[in-house]
Formats: sequence, structure tokens, C-alpha cells
Amino acid sequence: MRVLLVEDDEMIAQGLQTALRQAAFTVDWMRDGKSAAAALQSPVFDAVLLDLGLPHRDGIDVLRELRKRGDATPVIVLTARDEIQHRVAGLDAGADDYIVKPFDLDEVMARLRSVLRRAAGRGDSSIQHGNLRLDPVTRTIERGGAPVNVSAHEYAVLEALLQRPGAVLSRAQLEDRLYGWTEPIGSNAVEVYIHGLRRKLGADAIRTLRGVGYFIPKS
Amino acid sequence: MKSIRARLQIALIILVALVSLLAAAVTYRRVLSETSTLFDYQLRQMALSLRGQVSLAPRIEVPPEQGDTDFVIQIWDIFGARTYLSRPGLPMINQTVLGYADLSLHGEAWRAYGLQTDAGVIQIAQPVRVREALARAAAERVVIPLILLLPIMIAAAAWIVSRGLLPLRYVTAEMQRRDVRSLAPLGAGNLPREIEPLVGELNRLLARLREAFDAQRAFISDAAHELRSPLTVLRLQLQLLERAPDEAARLEARGRLGAAIGRAIHLVEQLLTLARSDPRETAADFAPVDLAAAAALGITDTRDLAAARHIDLSLESVPPVALMGDAEALRTLVRNLVDNAVRYTPSGGSVKVSCRASAEGPLLEVSDTGPGIAAADRERVFDRFYRRAAALESGTGLGLAIVKAIAERHGAHVQLDDAPGGGLRVVIRFPPPS
Repeated sequence: MRVLLVEDDEMIAQGLQTALRQAAFTVDWMRDGKSAAAALQSPVFDAVLLDLGLPHRDGIDVLRELRKRGDATPVIVLTARDEIQHRVAGLDAGADDYIVKPFDLDEVMARLRSVLRRAAGRGDSSIQHGNLRLDPVTRTIERGGAPVNVSAHEYAVLEALLQRPGAVLSRAQLEDRLYGWTEPIGSNAVEVYIHGLRRKLGADAIRTLRGVGYFIPKS
Repeated sequence: MKSIRARLQIALIILVALVSLLAAAVTYRRVLSETSTLFDYQLRQMALSLRGQVSLAPRIEVPPEQGDTDFVIQIWDIFGARTYLSRPGLPMINQTVLGYADLSLHGEAWRAYGLQTDAGVIQIAQPVRVREALARAAAERVVIPLILLLPIMIAAAAWIVSRGLLPLRYVTAEMQRRDVRSLAPLGAGNLPREIEPLVGELNRLLARLREAFDAQRAFISDAAHELRSPLTVLRLQLQLLERAPDEAARLEARGRLGAAIGRAIHLVEQLLTLARSDPRETAADFAPVDLAAAAALGITDTRDLAAARHIDLSLESVPPVALMGDAEALRTLVRNLVDNAVRYTPSGGSVKVSCRASAEGPLLEVSDTGPGIAAADRERVFDRFYRRAAALESGTGLGLAIVKAIAERHGAHVQLDDAPGGGLRVVIRFPPPS
């Protein structure tokens, strides 16, 4: 899962990035409204954490533009303004949720999972497919009821593939899920993670469509 | 406690009593003089009416109605022998005076009238006491109703005074209704001329109070809002420290937590500095200060930051630059100006501080080699918590607000313009020392 973090306070942004990466999210950080709007032109983000008081361009403005384009990417507003009228304005502009600073990290994560779950049209945040079960709350994977130990990157790859079983994701698409724009990409990193997952889940768990990408069979 | 009401009432009552006494005295005097004329006339008429009876003196009959007026009639014949005395038991002066006369007999004053006739002299006398008794009675008739009216007059005085003081009571009641939450001006509707200036002054005071309270409220609201960011960082880093997966992450989180605490402390200190440099405060604690020395201290405070950012920080001054001010506040002013310049200047740049006495007054200049401030933003940068987007180091957004507040307290003018080599130049002009 890739998240765009828009926050002008460097220290807050740094802390949130660390927390999100620890939770196996891929994070891109923009510190002003203009660059946030530019980043949102790209469809790679699963969710946006948006501060409102931004230099150059207000967060509400960026959010309105996003919704006007018909982009339904889940947006959680993070702000120091807690007055009712600000919350209402934020939600009316198209925010999916509203979190007031100083926030609790667990709450931010729970709300993030909640908007992602709703965006995927699921009631339960965990994904069950065959004998595989992925729980984004605990970030654990079970195979036939037994826990499977996976790395953060392996988890992110499996999560991306399990979102829509049967759909083929290219190596580039998977890299988008794994790395922010500023992070260096390992030359055959995706292959390494797929290999690791097959070793742990069985060779048939993830199929390769040669020259196109990877997928998890539908049934 | 002094009471206008009691004083007015006592004054009114004393006035009424004095007027009553004066009226009685005047009445007494006038009645006395009028009855004198009347009685004198009566004395003469009696004498004239007795003129034909002198020879029949022993048979004269005194009209009975004149009994209580204590008239004494004496008649002498032409040889000077008294032939008649109306009240024989009375020791009368055997003395004839023609016309009106005031006589004295055994300590009692009498009024007499003597009339010369062919057969002798008729004298009618009357004690002055009778006349005075009449005058006294007349004076009493004037004073007694006034005394009886006194309670009514006191009540009336009290009522008049109370009514006259009603506007004061209105103002008191209105003021009682005022508190921190409602500092609306008093209505000036139909107030007497004497109260209006007082109400005007009260309203001006209320307006100043309202302004001060609003400023305080805005400041507290801004401050509470601004504190959220460092608190967010504190909470974030604490939670990251708790859940750190390995020692490296724990060390990093601990370091960042320390930085977050430093940031929160810095913000609180800046808030306190700003709260203390309220430009409305009077300059009571001003003393002679050397601006150059204050600038040197202010630069010392920021030396470490400048060194860490590889910025050449220099002071050019010809001490002493004397002015009246608060040395500690001026040091804070210089520190904030230099701190601001250092934060916005890219590494390897320079920040120059100069300080000198000019003909127009002491002058302080800080120029840097940073990006400068666009002319359109030069007013806004003095707002509390306003941060320029180009900040390389995150500040509190309070530095220039503090600079402005301290400058205003010293009656100084702050001007932002372009430094000769690009970058920002801040010029602070102090008023000439008087």
C-alpha cells in the first residue's frame, strides 16, 4: 500500500513516515500544496494523509481539485484545527476522515486501514483467499490457520496481489507499491520477494505470466 | 464614607432652618416697629380724647378694653400737681414730658405721650414689654408653621437629592453588569452634563480593556494551536520509541524525541518572551543601555547555530550606542533577528549586524545573504506564527513578531528591505535619546 503524506512540519512528517514504513506502507512525502497537487496527478497512491495549513496552496484546495477530477483516492485530513466548522469544511471538501493533532499513532493507522477497507468495498479489513488469510491490523499472514513469517516487503507484495485475485500486476506496478519516489529500487527486488513468498506459501501460491507480471489464481 | 447624598441633605436642612430663623427675626423686627407706630398713635388718641376731661379728672373712667394693655394715665393741673393717676398702686414717675418719650422706671421701659392742655398736662404711658410680647407672638406665628413643616421639607430634600443622583445609580448598576465577558460600552442616552464625561472615560477604559482581553484571547488561542505541532511530534516519537523493532530504530526515535522536546521548550520560551514584550506596557523599567553591548550579547546567543550552519556571523559597531531601554529585551531582539537571518541563509552565506548612533537616533541593521522577503509579504512576516515557505530550519514563527513587539515598546521603527548583495536587510531605528 502506498500512501502520500502531505505535511509541512518536517518533524511530524518524519515521525509519520517512520511509523507508516514500520507498518509496511510505502510513503511519499510532500511538504507543500503545490507539490502535493502535482504528486496526486499520478494514480499510484492508495491513500492520502493531508495536512490543511500548507504553504503555497491550502490542503482543502488540493482536496477539492482531486475530487473534481473524479479521483476517489481515500483522503484523511490531519490538522491542528479542531473547531466543528473546520471539520465540516474538510469533510464536505471530500475528506474520508478527519484526525486532529496531536493524534495517536494507533488511531491514525486504524483510520487509514478503515478508509482503505471501505475503498476496497470490504467490511472486514482482513482478506481471506483460499487457505490464505492476510490481516492488515496485525500485519500477519496465515496459511491454513498457521502463521507465516514474512518480511515487510513480502507482505506488501502479497497484499497488493490479494487485493484483486486474478488480476496481473507488472513488476513496475509492484515496485510502485513498494518504493516511494525518493527510494532506490533494487534491480531484481520484486523477484526476490516473489521467490521468498513462494518458498513460504507454496510454489503455486503466486503464478507468473511470463513477460507480463504476477497474479494469484482466482479460486 | 463620604456621601454626596447625606451632604446635600444636611446642607438643605440647615438651609431651611436658617431661613426659618431669619424669617422669624425679620418678622419680629417688623412687627415690633409696626406695633410701635400703632401704639404710639393709640397713646396720642387717648390723650386727645381725655383733653376735655382734665378738670373732671377724678371721675375719668378708663375704657375697660384697655385694661390689658397696661396703659397708665396721669393728669397734672396747671400748677403741676397730679390730679389723677389711673392705677394708684403703681409707682409712676412724677414727671411730665411733652410728646413721645421713652422712660425708664425701676428697670422697666415705658413709652409715654404727654399732651399740654389749657387745664394741665395729660400723660399716657405703656410698658414696652407689652409691645414686645405682641411682636414675639407674631414672629412665632411665622416660625412655628415652618418648624412643623420641617419633617416634610426633610423628606422632600431627601427625595430631590435621590432623584438628582439617579444617573449615578444608573451608571453604577450598568458597571456592575460588566465583567470580562461583557465589556460593552455604557449607553450615553440622556445623561446629565455632569455624568457624561465620567461615562465617556469609563467607555474609553472599557474599550481599552476589551482590546487587551481580545488580544490576550487571540494570543492564547494561537499559542494553544501552535503547541499542537510540537506535542504531535512528542507523542509520535514517544510511540515510535515504544514500538521500535530494533536497537537502531530505538536510538533514532530517542534522538528525535530529544529534538522534539527541545522544540517544544523553544516554542514555550518564545511564547513567554512575546507575552512579556507587550508593546502596550509602559516603559517604566527603562534604563540607560548600550545598544552595541546588547547586540554583542544577542550575537553570542546565536553563534553556535551560525557555526553549525557554516554561516559567517559578524558584528560591526562603535560602542557605546546609548539609548533608554530594557537591556534584556534588546538582547532578545538581536538574538531573534540574527537567529531568523541564520535560519533563512543557505550554508556558506553570511549575516552582518551593524550598530551605530546616527543623527536621527541609534540604528541597528541585520543583513543576510538569504532569499530575502518579497515586498508583498513584508507586512505579514510580523504576524504571529507566520512562517515563510522557504525556511530551511523550522522555527516557531514568532521571531519577527517578538522583534516587532520589543521595537514598538522602545518606540523604534522596523523596516525590511533588500540587502545590497541580495538577501534581507532589517533596519531598526530607535528614537534619539532625549
